Amino acid sequence: MKRRKLLALLLASAMAMSMAACGNGGTPTESSDSSSQAESDEAPSSDEGSESAPPDEGSAAAGDGTYENKVIMGNTTDLTGDFRYPGWGTSSVGASDQDIGRLTIGYGTQEVAEDGNLVWNDTAVKSHTETENEDGTATFTVEINEGLTFSDGTPITAKNYLVRALAFSSPVAMEAGHPGMAGNAFIGFDEFHAYTGEEAEGTSKEFAGVRLLSDYSYSVTVSSDYYPYYFAYTYAGLDPYPMGLFLGEGVDIADDGNGAYLTGNFYEKDGDSFVKAKEIEENRYDLTKYPFSGPYVVSDWDASTKQATLTLNPEFKGNYEGQTPSIETIVYVKLIQETQLEELTSGGTDILGGVTGGKDTTAALAVVDGENFSEVHYQRAGYGKIQFDCDFGPTMFQEVRQAIAYLLNRTEFCQTLTGGYGVVVDGPYSPDLGPWKAVQDDVELIDYSFSPETAKALLEQGGWIYNSKGEDFVEGADGVDAVRYKKLTAEEANALDGANKTYASVSNTDGVTYETVEIGGEYYMPLAINWFGSTPNEVTDLISTTLANSSDLAAAGMVIRSTTGDFNKLLGEIYREPSYGYNGVPTYGMYNLATGFSALTNLDTSYQWSHDPAWFTNSSNKLYDPYDLDFPYDLKGEKLSYEAAVEASGDKLGMDYLSMAMVYNAATEDEFNQWYMGYVERWNELMPDIPLYSNYYYDVFNSKIENFHTSPFRGPAAALLYANVKGF
Amino acid sequence: MGRPSRRLPLFTSLSEMGYDMGKYILKRFGYMVVVLLILSFLMFFVYSLIPFDRAVAEAEPYRKGLKTTENATELYLARIEELRKELGTDQNVLVRYLGWIGLGPINGKYNGILQGNLGYSYEYDRPAKEVLADPLKNTVFINIFATVLGLGITIPLGIFCAVHRGSKRDTAVQVGTIIGYSIPGFIIAIVFIWIFAIMLKWFPVSGMKTPGSSYTGLAELKDRLYYMALPLIVMTFSSLGGMTRYVRASMSEALSLDCIRTARAKGLAEKTVIYSHAFRNALIPIITLVIGWFVGIFSGSIVIENIFGLNGVGRIYILSLNSKDFEVVLLLQMFYVILGLLGNLIVDIAYGLADPRVRVNK
Repeated sequence: MKRRKLLALLLASAMAMSMAACGNGGTPTESSDSSSQAESDEAPSSDEGSESAPPDEGSAAAGDGTYENKVIMGNTTDLTGDFRYPGWGTSSVGASDQDIGRLTIGYGTQEVAEDGNLVWNDTAVKSHTETENEDGTATFTVEINEGLTFSDGTPITAKNYLVRALAFSSPVAMEAGHPGMAGNAFIGFDEFHAYTGEEAEGTSKEFAGVRLLSDYSYSVTVSSDYYPYYFAYTYAGLDPYPMGLFLGEGVDIADDGNGAYLTGNFYEKDGDSFVKAKEIEENRYDLTKYPFSGPYVVSDWDASTKQATLTLNPEFKGNYEGQTPSIETIVYVKLIQETQLEELTSGGTDILGGVTGGKDTTAALAVVDGENFSEVHYQRAGYGKIQFDCDFGPTMFQEVRQAIAYLLNRTEFCQTLTGGYGVVVDGPYSPDLGPWKAVQDDVELIDYSFSPETAKALLEQGGWIYNSKGEDFVEGADGVDAVRYKKLTAEEANALDGANKTYASVSNTDGVTYETVEIGGEYYMPLAINWFGSTPNEVTDLISTTLANSSDLAAAGMVIRSTTGDFNKLLGEIYREPSYGYNGVPTYGMYNLATGFSALTNLDTSYQWSHDPAWFTNSSNKLYDPYDLDFPYDLKGEKLSYEAAVEASGDKLGMDYLSMAMVYNAATEDEFNQWYMGYVERWNELMPDIPLYSNYYYDVFNSKIENFHTSPFRGPAAALLYANVKGF
Repeated sequence: MGRPSRRLPLFTSLSEMGYDMGKYILKRFGYMVVVLLILSFLMFFVYSLIPFDRAVAEAEPYRKGLKTTENATELYLARIEELRKELGTDQNVLVRYLGWIGLGPINGKYNGILQGNLGYSYEYDRPAKEVLADPLKNTVFINIFATVLGLGITIPLGIFCAVHRGSKRDTAVQVGTIIGYSIPGFIIAIVFIWIFAIMLKWFPVSGMKTPGSSYTGLAELKDRLYYMALPLIVMTFSSLGGMTRYVRASMSEALSLDCIRTARAKGLAEKTVIYSHAFRNALIPIITLVIGWFVGIFSGSIVIENIFGLNGVGRIYILSLNSKDFEVVLLLQMFYVILGLLGNLIVDIAYGLADPRVRVNK
């Protein structure tokens, strides 16, 4: 009996201890409070020690009908606390972390404008010049305004703008997990990047391309490899950061006339490791030690519940338009996709951003009544697509890619997938993209409206007229003769180390394997396309039903074999990366995925269509335009205008030429748009991808928020800078 | 000093009991280490078969930075090789395993689990133990409540049903529990969200605390409980059916034993018969389940955590699997293996405490 009582007592004690241990003791492990940095007399009153019952969730409205100056922003992406430098130099950035970064990092010399262009930020920049040097390099000199301060009142100087370029071009940064390529466009990068604290040949402690000219001015010199370049000015776009954040304590930036360098113990080593690497790594997630430069400061981050609270930075003077925020507090919360709408209606969030897809959009719009909930929508800057491998198999032939485009009823596809909240595009653009809007009236594109007859005609024209015996293809035949075959030229047969000679269909669930046959020394390739789709993915499902299993496809003498799997496997096949499951044999010619533009700089596709194998890592389609062989682009050659190049090439400009000239020949916006139009036209003709849909995003929000306007390049977070809560 | 003389068949002195028990536990620990090593190698081996190379993923930003560099391909490949060496992915699976455990060097350094390096989350870019610390706390917090509530209801209910076996109330509970037992947890969660959060608006739909609140002390606990209430109700409700039926069956069997009949014949009070005699006999199968529940406190609930947006280990587990964050997954699985092994040992020891007939004496 006693023993049982003892057991019960032990159990109760263990539970009590666990509850105490897990109750976070009132302060979350990683909770931070930097409101003191903001020195704001408008800081929200603290509820610490309050024993009042939890408030009725979502009841932002006070009894007298006014609202609290607070907005709850919900997102289905997890917050991770990586707000200081979201992504740490990689492209793997959580959308919510990025939002918080946008709201807390300010005074960049350039900012993304509503049209997607990177524009100079007059609030931060007093003047800027661009000087073309005799050696082909270009120097951008920037003078920043005096009087800018961080959230704690510390002045922002030129050093704060250079700190990231210097720190993250060093081997210390690489040890801290950063790619260490931040300043690779500037001259002297290789030497600075190689410097480890000891003088050695080929190294330099001074970064020749980065100059600290005075307390409020700096310059960067872009190497001739990157200049002239249409977007070269963006290399001078730097954001200010507290020095200690990226350098650790006790390190300064100096310049003796040969380039900026890092002083103190930045390169100090402990054994093989840099001492500062650890400090920099630790600073990455520290939200209390250093101030913020943006419109908001992170006043609380609760890693346990994944909630971040942002409060106004009273020191912030405005963005590139001089805009300062009105909303006092923004709370970021994590939402669950399936219940996010209920969160909105019950007050768990004030904003649902980026709702898309037919079902979700219809449900979200059902709550919009103008009185309690409103909406704003915009076209996505990007599109979903079918992507082809163009260096082997049937998809290496233009007529096959075009035929597939004609065999898919994209209008119906888009309608089904987006529920009508999307449009079909025919090239590398989205309808709201500035350059597209500038050329859309003049551009001449092939209309790939659903037309099985056109597809058949194209295939016949392209030589897909045989059966597996080398005889005429007969529609309606069975077995391996159900598809068309094409007689390959010697060059085509030998493409990609002879991959076409052994080309065969995979995932043959019906027991029929289509493979290249050799007849009398000639190779005949079957019109059987191996498609890899990621799962779970409703686009994959829809392609399967509307294209791969359609009767029109079979009638055209084509087969699409479907293989599904993990997205990493898909990437492994696209990039032919063995460690991602690629087995060394090119197998798939077709994939489905999506692409997007976060700024107009993403329109730069130079080096993606090169015939030079040195650039293979940039190419995802492996498309080598034959026009480029006859009229290749020479980076060091004469910079022809669009008209001159068209004339010189006999109106046969290839993808490589067009994509390179678009950014290396164009000097003005009109010139850029002209090249872009040529690029879109050629792209549309070659169809390396088939664009499927460009969907709308709907942001649904509580009507207490006014002036909330989102657009393709101004997401909900950026839009909050312009918005206000009713009555404020 | 020699070993104390043994008196058969049961322990007669605490020192003897302690000695044998200590020896038994030591022996079990020895077995556990062997099992742990075998399982850890198997798990490591299985994950190493998945086609994914961290070095390639890590080199991706570097590749993008090399876009216009003349010898981009060579530099990129060299960087991959450098990273493979650094991460040890250029070694065979055995060398990598030894490095992971800390019994062998990776890139010239011993830096594995034995040295306190529990792995690195490449998804979150921070040590795996930091990634798991908060979710583990949340999971334990939720599960302690759910387990206590579950046991607090099911054990008395099971006993009640066994004692009143065949009555209308027993039948009603049996019907209720079989329904509860048959409905999957996620269905219960969806239905409860619809009823209690959307229709009645008694509880929040998801989340863990009032947005923007910075409560401390009792206010924080109350706020946390308010947000945890619905997940807790769902978890408790989901667990009622199985445990109640289990306790009822075990108690029914115990109540039919001869010793119970004898106790009743001796004129002992019914309460004493039920709680002191019958329940003790029914405890062995129940202990297995109860301790299993407590061990499960740490494993999290993948379904509940995902539906309610709770930052717990079950959710992290799924996210890590999806993002190929294998060092986190491995750490979690090792943790579960250790918990399982410890749980088994505790169950065996608890058997002895509950029933002298199965005490360890050698």
